[in-house]
Amino acid sequence: MLFSLRELVQWLGLAQFEVFLHVFALLIFSVLLAVKVDGFAPGLSWWNVFIPFFAADGLGTYFTAIVSVRLFQDGEKRLAVLRLFWILTILSLKFVFEMLLCQKLVQRNPDLWYGLIMSPVFILLQLLMIRACRVN
Amino acid sequence: MRMSLAQRVLLTWLFTLLFLIMLVLKLDEKAPWNWFLIFIPVWIFDTILLVMLIVKIAGRCKSGYDPRNCSLALKKKAWYLIAMLLKLAFCLALCARLEQFANMNLCFVFIPLWALLVGGMVELGYNIFYVRRD
Repeated sequence: MLFSLRELVQWLGLAQFEVFLHVFALLIFSVLLAVKVDGFAPGLSWWNVFIPFFAADGLGTYFTAIVSVRLFQDGEKRLAVLRLFWILTILSLKFVFEMLLCQKLVQRNPDLWYGLIMSPVFILLQLLMIRACRVN
Repeated sequence: MRMSLAQRVLLTWLFTLLFLIMLVLKLDEKAPWNWFLIFIPVWIFDTILLVMLIVKIAGRCKSGYDPRNCSLALKKKAWYLIAMLLKLAFCLALCARLEQFANMNLCFVFIPLWALLVGGMVELGYNIFYVRRD
């Protein structure tokens, strides 16, 4: 569409399989969200609804660790460290956002305002802009 | 004229940032605006994408263009157009639901999103598992 898959992979620094994993997690999350909000499963807690995202983050970290170890073994040490650092940064920012949002939905805490919850996303956006300059 | 990668990234980044700022203001009850107004950056961005896509498709359908050479590219463009329309339908349905214009289940709101995600996953899966093997 606006970006080809190659450009998107280059910009985000994620492999195609990782993108696939996160899209799949979003699909399962949206199904669970609809089930929860429409009241089809009264026993479903907000933490259960967010499980696909947490699982995708965990699998993404595992996948990145394997790729980095392989790159390190092949002698691409600089690339391995850079990739590991970048993916762990974006995955941890995503994870913090999900945790804060889930906590807000569970506790309804008025002190936890949405500006604070979204702050990891804003940081991520700035990082993506910087990376876009580098990629270009 | 094709936009450079930097221009496309800047366009996406700017509209995403604007949308997120307006979303935070609305959720924190600092801005008592209508949900359709909050989604203005999304509407503008989608309109730009749709116009670009329609211009590209129209360019391919011009007289003198050999259709045998471009059937695959045209199919891809048609899928992108359907994907854009699905996204637009999802955003409109979500706004209508949030504004309580339509008292419908969230399942119905999510149907266009699910279709879009499944289509995207099929395309991604094709690229990962099929093209690589070739």
